[in-house]
Amino acid sequence: MPDIAFVKPALPRSGALVLPLPEAAEGAEPASTLRQALEEATGGALARALEAAAFKGRKGQSCTLWAPGAGLSKIVAIGLGKPDELTPEAAEAAGGAIAPMIAQEREAMVAAEGMAPELGAALALGLTLRGYRFDRYRTQEKEEDRPRLERVAIATADTAAAKAAWAPMRAVADGVALARDLVSEPPNVLGPEEMAERCRGLEKLGIEVEVLGPKEMKKLGFGALLGVAQGSAREPRLVVMQWLGASGGKGKRAGGAKPVAFIGKGVTFDTGGISIKPAQGMEEMKFDMAGAGAVIGLMAALAGRKARLDAVGVVGLVENMPSGTAQRPGDVVKTYSGQTVEVINTDAEGRLVLADALWYCQERFQPRFMVDLATLTGAIIISLGHEHAGLFSNDDELAQRIMAAGKAVSEPCWRMPMGEAYDKQLKSDIADMKNVGGRPGGSITAAHFIQRFVDTRRGHMPWAHLDIAGTAWASKDLPTVPKGATGFGVRLLDRLVAEHYEG
Amino acid sequence: MLKVRFRREMRREAPGPLAIPVVRGAIPLSWAEAAAAARFTGMPGRVLDLPGPAGRVLLVGAGTPASALDWEQAGAAAAGGTGRAARLTLDARGLAPEAAVALAAGACLGAWRPGRHQSVRGIRLAALDLLVDSPEAAAGPWERAAAAVRGCLLARELTAEPANHLTPKAFAARLERLAEHGIAVDVLGRKRLTRAGFGALLAVGRGSAHAPRLAVLRWRGSFAAPPVAFLGKGICFDTGGLSLKPAAGMEAMRHDMAGAAACAGAMLALALRRSPAPALAVLPLAENAIGAEAYRPGDVLRTLSGRTVEVMDTDAEGRLVLADALHWARTRFAPRAMLDLATLTGSVVTALGRHRAGLFGTDAALLAQVAAVGEAVGEPVWPLPIGRRHREDLDSDIADLKQCATGRWLPDACHAAAFLREFAGETPWAHLDIAGVATREEGEQGPDQPTGFGARLLDALVERHFEDPDRH
Repeated sequence: MPDIAFVKPALPRSGALVLPLPEAAEGAEPASTLRQALEEATGGALARALEAAAFKGRKGQSCTLWAPGAGLSKIVAIGLGKPDELTPEAAEAAGGAIAPMIAQEREAMVAAEGMAPELGAALALGLTLRGYRFDRYRTQEKEEDRPRLERVAIATADTAAAKAAWAPMRAVADGVALARDLVSEPPNVLGPEEMAERCRGLEKLGIEVEVLGPKEMKKLGFGALLGVAQGSAREPRLVVMQWLGASGGKGKRAGGAKPVAFIGKGVTFDTGGISIKPAQGMEEMKFDMAGAGAVIGLMAALAGRKARLDAVGVVGLVENMPSGTAQRPGDVVKTYSGQTVEVINTDAEGRLVLADALWYCQERFQPRFMVDLATLTGAIIISLGHEHAGLFSNDDELAQRIMAAGKAVSEPCWRMPMGEAYDKQLKSDIADMKNVGGRPGGSITAAHFIQRFVDTRRGHMPWAHLDIAGTAWASKDLPTVPKGATGFGVRLLDRLVAEHYEG
Repeated sequence: MLKVRFRREMRREAPGPLAIPVVRGAIPLSWAEAAAAARFTGMPGRVLDLPGPAGRVLLVGAGTPASALDWEQAGAAAAGGTGRAARLTLDARGLAPEAAVALAAGACLGAWRPGRHQSVRGIRLAALDLLVDSPEAAAGPWERAAAAVRGCLLARELTAEPANHLTPKAFAARLERLAEHGIAVDVLGRKRLTRAGFGALLAVGRGSAHAPRLAVLRWRGSFAAPPVAFLGKGICFDTGGLSLKPAAGMEAMRHDMAGAAACAGAMLALALRRSPAPALAVLPLAENAIGAEAYRPGDVLRTLSGRTVEVMDTDAEGRLVLADALHWARTRFAPRAMLDLATLTGSVVTALGRHRAGLFGTDAALLAQVAAVGEAVGEPVWPLPIGRRHREDLDSDIADLKQCATGRWLPDACHAAAFLREFAGETPWAHLDIAGVATREEGEQGPDQPTGFGARLLDALVERHFEDPDRH
């Protein structure tokens, strides 16, 4: 990740210069001082190039000049679209578009002095998010293929305002990068224990981290989570992360304030268990901990920007393997809540892990609300595709807030229905419920399964479930997401918290 | 449909069992003991059968009825619990006329069974006496309700028909009979379709010995305005074509014309109740069969709109016939709104199960109206997205667009809707994917039975939103 600095507009002496240019009306407003200086230094090269390339500043347009003089390696003009449509989202997308164009430069300046400082920061965020790369395991890469970008200077009229806007964004970008790293890690490297260790790394940000092993979980009675884990040679973990920010980061729970809670599915590798998956595409199943990854990234983001609230993150970490000790279809397990589950399909394991994690979270924290994230069902991809996450909730207000937050940060959600008729599909002949409800409405019945572990004995518990199976991994580049792990959920939930639950 | 009579008192001769709807917790005194013994509390859907010397009584759970829909369900439960009786008496005394009428409607819907083709038919419920305080007060509401019920039952009858009986030609002939209700019916055969350029519909129908048709049903209404248009997928049998379906369960594909049947049912309901709103149904009818002439994956078709389509999977034929129908309806009749109904994708069943239809479209107001009406008539829908990516997935290297995407884990319902949108133009348009709700699982009683889903929804939608001559 390159360093981002905010500077006063002045022509750089070397490196790349990027000019984000709005779609100008006829007889446009006078160009910025930096632009004028540039034209003078290059003898009007840019103006001629833009003319020749029929560059109008439309969204998606760009124009590159190599070695334009004045010591610069290149000048890149990119279109911002109509000035009145320059939302933070559009500024992020512009930053995202810039990232691959300057990846091979050591230094670059983005002349954002024509934008509001907050939009300049948003551009930096988009640039940072899109510039993410997971290259830990590339040992033979040629030097010229490796991105070299070390420093990006964003030229802005008000550096103080831009810096202030950037500080929390940077924390969120770090959180997203952490989530993406975790999802990208191969499953031999990142098992439950290793993932719990990564959580411990958050202690340096001021997060309290507790790790429960199989002994503790057995004692508590996590029959569902342990049932999933029992086929693997690797031990499961349950990690509880607490950020106590309501008191201003003094590490104390504010008097009587309930925390908000996020719960993540962390199946570090999902073979399907005895109900084994087809071989083709199984390697993708390293991503089956993306819900937990997002929760961990979110906690890092909240702590990193010193969010003024108490938040708790709970992740259930297991590996789902077939073996002589593995759980069988037909097994009945007793969950921590006391409810029994007939396991029909060992590949519907995420909901079993969440069942115990959710119940534990409520027993211990009685949170204000709970949001769980999980790469839960293939059915959600068949329902919605890869643009929207499936949103299920028992609370309209919470659901609407999540929808709005998702829209604002380009992590859109689509509300899916719930109802008694779907819940009935879980009826078991032998236990309190089955762990699958059949193909029809497969994501909805999964949500209903989870809802059965939302404790309403003390009254209404606002809860939302995000099925991110379609959005946790991008098969092609998106404006602010390079192909691969997306970190979906970190920005969305950070925004949710910032908008409604802080201060 | 049951022969329904509203009466003040029970008939003396062979009145059949007497069904008494019971609101939860309000057990009639005379049966309090029996109800307590049987733990009958009036839960919705429960029926307590009490034979006795004075005649058979059915206590029918009505729960805590909050809407006409709840009474309808009680009526259906009463009809379902009747067993071998030709006549049923339903006691609606003390209830508002609307509740009584809803009970009757529910009984008619609940009593319906397919079986025209059974040579030995057992005793079936054929007549319903409804005991009410004032038969006069019930008459008006019943006339309105009966129109919708008959529309729904027509849709079910058509859907239940086996494909050897309901070929595209036979289907069209059945629709022509709607002329007796004042509906103008025009059927386009192969020649006219060819001349007009229905490239997609003709391609889908080409593998079959039974040539495709386009049936156009028009209801004039009583004021001059652009019509509201219904479009229904009418694949009389869907083998999948060269992209052949698996053998198991293929018999259910006789239901693949349920969308067209629902539209026909809605038109009948409008005509029966003399709706003032001009309406139109455009129903492409075809059989998707395998044959030497069958269209192939990889073929490029020129649709009626002129737009070219690359065929990826011959089993995604519904969207093709609808593409031509949408274009025909839009350019020929300039409708106020277009609503299409289709048993279109397996994907929508995975998404929403058997309890809600998928709703897609371009007009937020129309979508909200459809959703609200669906809830009110017990034909619930749920909105699903048409995203940018869904449309991008249909980009073709060789034609204007692909008919569907290929690969694993496809949001095919969304893709289908994105495809159809290309042919809806600027006209406000809604698409209902009814693959999950066109039939209902009947448990051990046999194969899935048609529901007629959509007929009542469209009828009620017109009533609520298209019958004001000053607002169009």
